[in-house]
Amino acid sequence: MRPSPKLHPTAWDALVVLCVAALAIALALFQWRGGTSQGLTAVVSVDGTEIDRVSLEDAAGEKTYQAGAYTLTVEYAAGSTRVRTSNCPTQDCVHTGVVSRGGQSIVCLPARIVIRLEGGAPDPDAVDAVLG
Amino acid sequence: MKRLTAYVLLTVLFLSGCGAQMSPDEAQESIQVIAMDTAMLITTYGERSPAAAYACEDVIRDLEAKLSRTVEDSEVSRLNAAGGGAVEIGWDAYSLLERAAAYSSSTGGAFDITVAPVVSAWGFTEDSFRVPSQAELDRLLPLVDSSQVSVTPSLDSNGDGPKATVTLGPGQAIDLGGLAKGYAADKIVVVLREHDVPRANINLGGNVLAYGGRPDGTPWRVAIQDPARVGEQDAFAGVLALTDSFAVTSGGYQRYFEQDGKTYHHIIDPATGYPADSGLTSVTVVAALGEGDGSGFPGTMCDAYSTALFIMGEERALAFWRDEMMWGEEGCPFDLVLVTEDGRVVVTEGLADRFTLEESSGYTLEVVSP
Repeated sequence: MRPSPKLHPTAWDALVVLCVAALAIALALFQWRGGTSQGLTAVVSVDGTEIDRVSLEDAAGEKTYQAGAYTLTVEYAAGSTRVRTSNCPTQDCVHTGVVSRGGQSIVCLPARIVIRLEGGAPDPDAVDAVLG
Repeated sequence: MKRLTAYVLLTVLFLSGCGAQMSPDEAQESIQVIAMDTAMLITTYGERSPAAAYACEDVIRDLEAKLSRTVEDSEVSRLNAAGGGAVEIGWDAYSLLERAAAYSSSTGGAFDITVAPVVSAWGFTEDSFRVPSQAELDRLLPLVDSSQVSVTPSLDSNGDGPKATVTLGPGQAIDLGGLAKGYAADKIVVVLREHDVPRANINLGGNVLAYGGRPDGTPWRVAIQDPARVGEQDAFAGVLALTDSFAVTSGGYQRYFEQDGKTYHHIIDPATGYPADSGLTSVTVVAALGEGDGSGFPGTMCDAYSTALFIMGEERALAFWRDEMMWGEEGCPFDLVLVTEDGRVVVTEGLADRFTLEESSGYTLEVVSP
């Protein structure tokens, strides 16, 4: 068997190594530092079925949602949302006010509409659930 | 040199790969469910998280169909409409009637499912609120009597058929709403274990099941709404750090109406027929999960006791807690967070290192010992 010729790394080899290393490090940093985090999104569902999804990264404006006899006017702004008006009897959804963090929700039980915020910057001090 | 280069390349490629691949434990499913007259959020983790989340929803829908007083053909509705006649019920309703009788006895009647006709008179069942006259309450209060509920277990208790036959006293009606969500939480624990779910955060309209811990290994952070600041976001009395626990809060602020400048809430004292006026604005009951076979019913217990202790008031609630911790026969130790009208948060000793008072709430914190 003929022995392999002895290879000597050249400047091109070093350049390829550097490129691969830089690419791998960039990929790792991207995924650790935000590549998996999503922007804040409002997910609107009626009776558990998703009907709309609005990115709040640069949102501005209003949308109207109807369910049964009830109509909700939802105001979207950059990083937050609220139910501006509703013809439901309890008005709990309107009184909830502005929500702006992932995990927060606005619930209109009479209309069976839930607006839940997903994503956003992770906050270890945020609460996971509210009793009451 | 070549070996060193190879190590460097392997290391950085491995590191970048680690970021790309999600641990099976981190897979997550989150679904919203509107049932039992409330909005629920089910968040499960693990490889089988979607199947687990939807199995949890099935449990809730099934229980609502059987137990809701406002579902026309539920077992409870058939019982309430039977006019004192015998009605056959399945395992879940039977279980809950047995639990309800035990809690009514242990709380001296502060928890009583036969208070339903009085709650209806106030309009809380159909959201048609009104203040009943004293004469009307005097006529209804004799119906509030759990001892008139007769439950006869079926002889064929091993089959799929009815598990018991029930009769109510004349004019009586029952409402299992004070137990059903807690019972659902107990059943959900079994589902989570069957699906090998490593962690879950189940919020059944304020009844919280903190299963396992957060993905980062820390306990779930479960806040208690400040009863004095209900309209505000993030207005908490404090935050509990919970792992493998049930927590249920009852408070007069959760459902109420105003008439002639006075506020009337939905937690009716079975003794008076009026909304409880005990000096407490909320009661939170916390208990650890059971052994995994669904026995013990700690979630059901938390649900019932949160209502009963709200009615009892601080002094009786703490005496009850001490008695139950010493002599309780239910086999489910529990702890309490009481929020009082006079600006205090009273925490029982078992939660002292798991409760953080919200400084902005203005409450003062008291820790009580058994």
